[in-house]
Amino acid sequence: MEQLNGWFTDLLSDNTIFTANTLGFYWGGFVTTVQLVFLSLVIGMILAVPLAIGRGSKRRWIKLPIYAYTYVFRGTPLLIQLYLVYYGVVFFEGIQDSIFWVVFKQAFFPALIAFTLNTAAYTTEIFHGAIKNTAKGEIEAARAYGMSRKLMMRRIILPSAFRRALPAYGNEVIFMLHASAVASVVTIMDLTGAAYYVYARFYAPFDAFIFVALIYLCLTFGIMFVFRKLEKRLLAHLRPRGA
Amino acid sequence: MAATPIPLEAKGIKKRFGDHEVLKGISLQAHKGDVITLIGASGSGKSTFLRCMNLLEQPDEGELIVHNEAINFRTTKQGREPADWKQVERIRAKLSMVFQNFNLWSHMTLLENVIEAPVHVLGKPRKQAIDEARALLDRVGLLDRADYYPTQMSGGQQQRGAIARALAMDPEVMLFDEPTSALDPELVGDVLQVMRGLADEGRTMILVTHEIAFARDVSSQVIYLHQGVVEESGTPADVLDNPRSERLRQFLAPKH
Repeated sequence: MEQLNGWFTDLLSDNTIFTANTLGFYWGGFVTTVQLVFLSLVIGMILAVPLAIGRGSKRRWIKLPIYAYTYVFRGTPLLIQLYLVYYGVVFFEGIQDSIFWVVFKQAFFPALIAFTLNTAAYTTEIFHGAIKNTAKGEIEAARAYGMSRKLMMRRIILPSAFRRALPAYGNEVIFMLHASAVASVVTIMDLTGAAYYVYARFYAPFDAFIFVALIYLCLTFGIMFVFRKLEKRLLAHLRPRGA
Repeated sequence: MAATPIPLEAKGIKKRFGDHEVLKGISLQAHKGDVITLIGASGSGKSTFLRCMNLLEQPDEGELIVHNEAINFRTTKQGREPADWKQVERIRAKLSMVFQNFNLWSHMTLLENVIEAPVHVLGKPRKQAIDEARALLDRVGLLDRADYYPTQMSGGQQQRGAIARALAMDPEVMLFDEPTSALDPELVGDVLQVMRGLADEGRTMILVTHEIAFARDVSSQVIYLHQGVVEESGTPADVLDNPRSERLRQFLAPKH
């Protein structure tokens, strides 16, 4: 233990790259990445629930625009979407004179919009699939017991669909975390942006990027852990008793 | 004369799917305590008729009267549909259905299944609903399974649970749609025993079944359907023991 400790101190004292200064950069990047991903996931989820319900509507004027939206955002690279929002924002007439400019002139908000729209599109399709797969008999039972459409959606269809969607949604969350690395190309100092800065400053690509890869791995591990716990709790009805 | 309301009355129910006329004008009156059994070959329309009673299928013609309340229909371009879905929901809550495939809600425990509609449709206080549900589960012999999910139970247990769910609504009429058809033979007995108990205590029941012996035991009326019409109807003794038509005789003949 003593030896290991000494070895570790030597390693750190020897290095010129991971100083308090650069670690501060990584920390800032970590906070930015977590904020960006977390916010876009939360807002995306809030958007996706009504969109997924509408996506399964019988009325064409409801379902077709939603389908077009998810098709476009799933059919184009996130980086292109980010560019379009980032550079496109200024073309909104008068936005630079409005109070919104305070937020939109920072790269964070166009990125948040692009990420939100992207994850909402994927999440809509995930939820839509799960809603569509609700057992017909369970819907029939809900109708036979006098439930209104709304009550049935709230009590039967959505709770069972969310459970079915959980594993796929867990993947979407991890995918979103990794996709968020593209934020660095529009000047955002996220984790990847911080790593790039450290790389450029010290010309030490392996140190800079392996370190950041480890941070992403830790985040992914955390997400997997949370979803594991959630699945264990919410998917209990699919397991044999006591398993 | 102040007549006691008839729990359920269907008059001249007709239903077609595309070009195929499944029901060609069927009527039925379920008085309090009646156990009416619908029998017939598959495709005779018996399940469709049962599903018309709680409007899981919309009859194209005919009247439905539940406890003196006639269901209002209106005609649209797509065909006839109920004019007031609130009314349909209210009436469905008075007619509990037990399905061939149980159709318990899979993400809820048995107890949650039983209290779901009483709490959220009838607006019963949760605590009261739980107490009643426990009594019902005890009655169908599943109190020790209250916290199990449907997939963790056998078919017979699920169906008895589904009957408890139906009873929790304290329905005017219980509708059984081939309740034992999806069960392994050794599990049928438990379910029939529970149903027999319900018949004995004077529950009004309409039942689609292939269990002829059971129908003979519990029914007050047996209706034999063939190709969407009532071919024979009467007491079990009339219909099952003295069938008039050759077709019913063949239907009742032991299969080998």
